[in-house]
Amino acid sequence: MDFLELINFYVIPGIVLGSIYALGAVGITLIFAILRYAHLAHGDLATLGAFIALAVVTGLGISPLLALPIAIIATAAVAVGIDKVFYEHLRERPKIVTVMASLGIALMIRAVVQVVWGVDTETYSRGIVRPENYFGLRIRDREILTVIAMFALVGGLQLFLTRSKWGKAMRAMSDNPNLALLSGIDNKKVVMLTWVIAGGLCAASGVFLGLNTELKSLMGWQMLLPMFAAAILGGVGRIEGAVLGGLIVGIAEELSVLVIPSEYKAAMAFAILLFMLLVRPTGLLKGKVL
Amino acid sequence: MEYLGLLNYALFMAIFIGIYALLALGLNIQWGFAGLFNAGIAGFFAVGAYTSAILTTEHADGRIGGFDMPFFVGWIGAMLAAALVAWPIGKICLRFRSDYLAIASIGIAEIIRLVVKSEPVLTNGARGISGIPRPAAEFPSLAQESAYMASQAAYLAIVIVVLIAAYLLVERQFNAPWGRMMRAIRDNEGAAKAMGKDVEFRRLQAFIFGSALMGLGGALFAHFNRSITPEAIDPMVATFLVWIMLILGGSGNNRGAILGAAVVWIIWSMSEIATDRLPTEYAIQAKYIRLFLIGLMLQLVLRFRPEGLLPEPLRGDRRATRSGADHT
Amino acid sequence: MKTKILALAASLMTATALASVPAKADVKIGLLGGISGPIAAMAPAMIDAAQLAFQQVNEQGGIGDGEKLVGVVGDSACNPQNGTDAATKAVNIEGVIGVVGPHCSGAVLAAAGSVTIPAGITMITPSGTSPEISTLDDKGTVFRTVPSDDYQGRALARTLKEQGYEKVAVAYLNNDYGTGLANAFKAEFVDELSGEITQFAAHEEGKASYRSNLAELAKGGADTLVIFDYGDGTGLTILRQALENGFFDKFVGGDGMKSEAVINELGAENLATFVSSSPVGEQSESLDIFNEAFKGIGGDPDAIFATTSYDAAFLLALAVEKAGGKKEDVAAAMAEVSNGEGEAIRPGEWKKAKELIAAGTAIDYKGAAGDHNFDEKGDVPGTYALWEVGANGFEVLTEMK
Repeated sequence: MDFLELINFYVIPGIVLGSIYALGAVGITLIFAILRYAHLAHGDLATLGAFIALAVVTGLGISPLLALPIAIIATAAVAVGIDKVFYEHLRERPKIVTVMASLGIALMIRAVVQVVWGVDTETYSRGIVRPENYFGLRIRDREILTVIAMFALVGGLQLFLTRSKWGKAMRAMSDNPNLALLSGIDNKKVVMLTWVIAGGLCAASGVFLGLNTELKSLMGWQMLLPMFAAAILGGVGRIEGAVLGGLIVGIAEELSVLVIPSEYKAAMAFAILLFMLLVRPTGLLKGKVL
Repeated sequence: MEYLGLLNYALFMAIFIGIYALLALGLNIQWGFAGLFNAGIAGFFAVGAYTSAILTTEHADGRIGGFDMPFFVGWIGAMLAAALVAWPIGKICLRFRSDYLAIASIGIAEIIRLVVKSEPVLTNGARGISGIPRPAAEFPSLAQESAYMASQAAYLAIVIVVLIAAYLLVERQFNAPWGRMMRAIRDNEGAAKAMGKDVEFRRLQAFIFGSALMGLGGALFAHFNRSITPEAIDPMVATFLVWIMLILGGSGNNRGAILGAAVVWIIWSMSEIATDRLPTEYAIQAKYIRLFLIGLMLQLVLRFRPEGLLPEPLRGDRRATRSGADHT
Repeated sequence: MKTKILALAASLMTATALASVPAKADVKIGLLGGISGPIAAMAPAMIDAAQLAFQQVNEQGGIGDGEKLVGVVGDSACNPQNGTDAATKAVNIEGVIGVVGPHCSGAVLAAAGSVTIPAGITMITPSGTSPEISTLDDKGTVFRTVPSDDYQGRALARTLKEQGYEKVAVAYLNNDYGTGLANAFKAEFVDELSGEITQFAAHEEGKASYRSNLAELAKGGADTLVIFDYGDGTGLTILRQALENGFFDKFVGGDGMKSEAVINELGAENLATFVSSSPVGEQSESLDIFNEAFKGIGGDPDAIFATTSYDAAFLLALAVEKAGGKKEDVAAAMAEVSNGEGEAIRPGEWKKAKELIAAGTAIDYKGAAGDHNFDEKGDVPGTYALWEVGANGFEVLTEMK
């Protein structure tokens, strides 16, 4: 098998998949860092974002890319809403309670998607799209879009976190919530901002997954564990880490077929995770250890 | 006839509650006593169920087995196998902090599920193992209806015996110095270490005991249905449901674990009956709505009673009060 | 809070008690299926097809003394825990006289083992394909309208060889449906017919990309990919990615791949080299009748296992009629209404069947998915055809033997 084949059929799909994972992983790592728990409804939130975009695409007849901002805003709003109605009241409790609650929320979101949109497999557009040939690299335009969008969104986030006032407030809360409170940072607003960002990124993750494959009601749930693996791999609380983790998990999953029987492909993400936790629990980019 | 039906349903529910109570007890040892967030219950459930199946069924081509042992040998084997599997997992993973241990254990359960599905030599692969013997199943002298009820009642009796034995064992340990030490480690590891307690080893003990109980639950399940297939290793019904049961019942509390199993399973099963009251055009949507309601109910319970129905009794333990709830 | 929980429990109990009071003279049949869970996309069509059968019964004179036949839907979620729970409720709370389903073999084995066999209730599954179901110690109460995987896999192998496919790669879903079909196919294709399988690989469902799997499968130079998966699920993803990236020229699917979703999502123009096997009644007249009727209620007749579900439901209704509404006689009656001897009854011919049964004449149901002549294990041999994608959906290419 030559090098080009390796790139085309293993590495490129891995990068695209990894970008989708990365979008979710960044949200997860943010929630880990600022709210300090594992958000199990993250995958289903992505599913919701994808289906909201579907509604916009079928309703307004625009392309999924144009529907993306609408889906982002809608999902961000839903995320903030869920936090206000459900999670907020659990803040004083042990974190396990919120983790359980997020599991319940996952069920609820999935049920809503199934009732509203049904359980059939959907796509944004009919037909197949063959990849273009760029100097021997076979990539579909939408795949390039996915990767670029991921870097753009995460890059924008990074800029926000480092340059803007609120971004710095978020980082302060992530490092030391008590000190942050003392220095006058409004925790509530920071939390709301966290959910806006997480919800928006979820929507992007879901839309790109739907764009590259199909939309199914379980699509987000099935991505959940690789996204968690990516977040922990990169180091909890580190955005760049989540991106790196996502890409590694995606590429590793695709490459794994070369060495292990293909039915175990799904186990790759976990194997990486376990390995990281054993060898370097702070993650590749030295995040926090919760 | 209706009352007979209700009685059979109640017997069935009781059997499932018993099995889930065993799983919840096992989880309580790990989480309630030792603070270990094990989200891989499904894996140990599977190990126990399959071990018992392999030990008690007849020979089948292409798969190890043919031991044809009596059922209780299978059950003991299930516990041993689960414990044996828990040992290396514990050694590797218990040093992780709680959220990480959760994700690592989910990963391990997934790997176990994939292995079970994909290795026909061990487990008959995706087909599963059927023809598992069930104790007290046949009552040839009774009419069909009564035989059905009698066999359920008999199995329930066995499950209850096993559950009581497990409960008494765990309660005794809980009240013994071992139990107090475990909670001390859970609540303040630093102090416990300073006192010279071998924290690693104690944690591993708790993990192994809990896993053994989970394996036993798996075996009881497999023998009740007379078959075990990989679809049973589903994270929702085999792991998360047990977690909900423990949290709802009251973690750190053995009676709470059993009560939680009862309440949650009853709600889980009966919610379908409730949502079936919708008109038939919505029969299928009703199932989705049911899951929505269960998620919603979970939110309500967690919000209004997060310490569970039976909070952990205060025996020098601060954990329950840390949640901010009142205690008398 | 405790009072709240008690109140909740009390209200659920009341609901149950109310539920267990049957409407006047309704005869209930349980419809257990994987409505939530991994096969959620396939279940609704199967349930609808079964309900169609009951609707036809009610329109043409009802069951027994003109009683209404009601389908009670239960969710097995495709796992044994929920499957046995749903079965128990159907049998004990609803008081069903027979059960159509569950859909997944694991749930079938468990529900049969812990509920229907002990309770003596007849079970007929439209999609449980595991060979383990044949070996259940079921006292003759478990039937199926779908052949064991062995049969279809072997028939497909023979037909492909006939059609000139020599060298194939096989991708199969790692569950009992996919592995069963794939292993049977391999046994026949390679061992009996000396065909060549260059790659034989399983995959898990629900991943986003199977390109690396496909690249592996393409090694070895086969020009044909055989896919044993569901066209509503992962099979669609694999077919799409194979078409888009130019892996393989020709594609073959098992009956799970014959789905409208494949045509809708990928476009008939891209599926010129795609063929798929699927059950068909020997007098494919039966299939046409069913297709018309199902389309009439808004269903998609190409939906996976819709035909077998309809047949299962209709057969159960026939058996109940023949047994005179007596639960314990239904299993024996089932064996009699479709054993190859008797007056032919096609889908929808309830009135005719009712009259014949009342007159004591033997009947033989010829279903949309095959003749369903049960053997002593409650299994059926099945008749299949190979389908290709034509201008108006799937069309029969050739019969399979």
